[in-house]
Amino acid sequence: MPAERRHGMDHDHYAWSALPTRPALRWPDGKQLALCVIVLLEHYEWEPPEGSYGLRRPSGGIFPLPAPDYLRLTHREYGHRVGVFRVLDALDANGVPANVAMDALTAEHYGWLGRHCVQRGCELLGHGVAASRPITSRMSEAEERATIARSVEALTRLSGAPPAGWLGPECAESARTPQLLAEAGIRYLCDWPNDEQPYAMTVADGELTALPMFLETDDEFALWTRRMSLDDWAAMVVEAATRLHDDGADSGRLLVLTLRPWLIGQPFRIGALESALRAVMSLPHIWAARGSDIVDAFRTAGR
Amino acid sequence: MSLPPHRVDYLPIVDRPRIEWPGGARVALWVAPNVEHYEYLPPRDPQRNPWPRTPWPEVQGYGYRDYGNRAGFWRMVEAFDRFEIRSTVSLNLAVFEHYPEIGAAMLERDWEVMSHGIYNTRYLHALSEEEEREFYRDCVDTMRRHTGKALLGMLGPAVSNSSRTPDLMAEAGLLYHADWMHDDQPVPIRVEAGRLVSVPYSTELNDVPVFLQHYDSDEFVAMAKAQFDRLYREGEQSGRVMCLAIHPYLMGMPHRIRHLEEIFAHVRAHDAVWHTTGGEIARFFLDHCYDDFVAHAARLQAEPEGKAQDAR
Repeated sequence: MPAERRHGMDHDHYAWSALPTRPALRWPDGKQLALCVIVLLEHYEWEPPEGSYGLRRPSGGIFPLPAPDYLRLTHREYGHRVGVFRVLDALDANGVPANVAMDALTAEHYGWLGRHCVQRGCELLGHGVAASRPITSRMSEAEERATIARSVEALTRLSGAPPAGWLGPECAESARTPQLLAEAGIRYLCDWPNDEQPYAMTVADGELTALPMFLETDDEFALWTRRMSLDDWAAMVVEAATRLHDDGADSGRLLVLTLRPWLIGQPFRIGALESALRAVMSLPHIWAARGSDIVDAFRTAGR
Repeated sequence: MSLPPHRVDYLPIVDRPRIEWPGGARVALWVAPNVEHYEYLPPRDPQRNPWPRTPWPEVQGYGYRDYGNRAGFWRMVEAFDRFEIRSTVSLNLAVFEHYPEIGAAMLERDWEVMSHGIYNTRYLHALSEEEEREFYRDCVDTMRRHTGKALLGMLGPAVSNSSRTPDLMAEAGLLYHADWMHDDQPVPIRVEAGRLVSVPYSTELNDVPVFLQHYDSDEFVAMAKAQFDRLYREGEQSGRVMCLAIHPYLMGMPHRIRHLEEIFAHVRAHDAVWHTTGGEIARFFLDHCYDDFVAHAARLQAEPEGKAQDAR
């Protein structure tokens, strides 16, 4: 529906709110910046089911090739086999808890990797069924419900508990998605890159909190789509975190940093992540946390 | 259970049989210049247009690449000689016929030749099974005719492949396929009959995407050094493979050759490096690692609650 010319948002997913007009947000222990790092484990199918929506220019490979595009498909697979361990080690080395957005095909078919993530204490986020099956408005409601259910079930089987968070495959949604996620028991959603603080989403069932991903520091957006240099990306992450940290003295801020092991986990890139994390984690009032802990703190603060 | 196309079993790099390269090397380095011929007026392919800029002929794109064979290659050869770097040429095999001087220069240096198809404008995407089978016969025969040697591996022509490619490669007696970007080690590729392994090439540490998509020579050098340093460090635990993928029409440019030399100097300053070729890596892996990798993958599949998960 085209927008109606009235005050507020042109949809019902959340209320309009200008950041300076909000009551000050206080994180636990006087922290000023909550850092939520999400590692994406996304499987890209060689032969997606007929009717799956495909991005016009999916990432990876060298340039668009006719199917089967070995280069792109195997490039994306690199994360599961090799890159993820570098990324998780880099997070561990800097005391950063790992949140892992894992799609159902990964949970179902990469058993070793799924169990490894659980054993390392990673918080799992629902991530749909596959990167090659993003949720969009082309999907019927029944298909979307089935996608969410399969994702939740796969992670529940793996870890013994349903996921608290959600990051859509390719960060995509239909107009129904937040409602359906809340119905399925999801507590926080990271798809909308629109804020520096958590905010409440408006849902009929349950309680859904937005933990907005920060698009410009997203490794795919910066390093693949925009082709920033690696050094510039690392410097940008540090500068963004530093400014958010300083602004957080007045009202706490959030940085959701999304990382793809097939991309940032390459041998020549991982050092940039390590140096950025070292700098960010040396900020005096930084709080690196699991998504669910950030949601708890936000809701405990009465928001 | 592996996912379609069921070619590769999941093996996390932190839980695999250890690879010990010859001489205790940490990194097996193969340098792969792509020596290519793009046709002036190629046959039309239903799925892919090599020259989209203008109606054919497209002399700018053609000439840019032709420069590589006329000038860039020869400057590049000097850099390889100076640093005694071994080469695995990813060769459009018709180059032997069009430009025998290039063939002679490669054979003189005992460079390994890997198939990169016949021309970079003849793709595998749309071939029938029989046409693709005939393609391998042509590649194997052309290789034998001009070098007297067996053909060991392939990077698909202009990185094109079909879903049958690994099966037909193995059937034709090839040992390795370089179109798999999924790993820092060779990995068994499941085929209908025989054995085939992937030897990791690179679409990242590769001058074409680097230069055509934003970056330039300084970034390429920084990438190559960082890649090498990381793999060299990790290779202490288990051998790694590094591929440097280059093109004479790019790295052979007068303003880039010093950057290539800087990369060569960097790798030459380290001892625990196996300066090798795609074929030698494949043979070594087949002789010493392949069976262990297959058995280990089967074990990981069979043990849903496998204890090895914590190894890292």
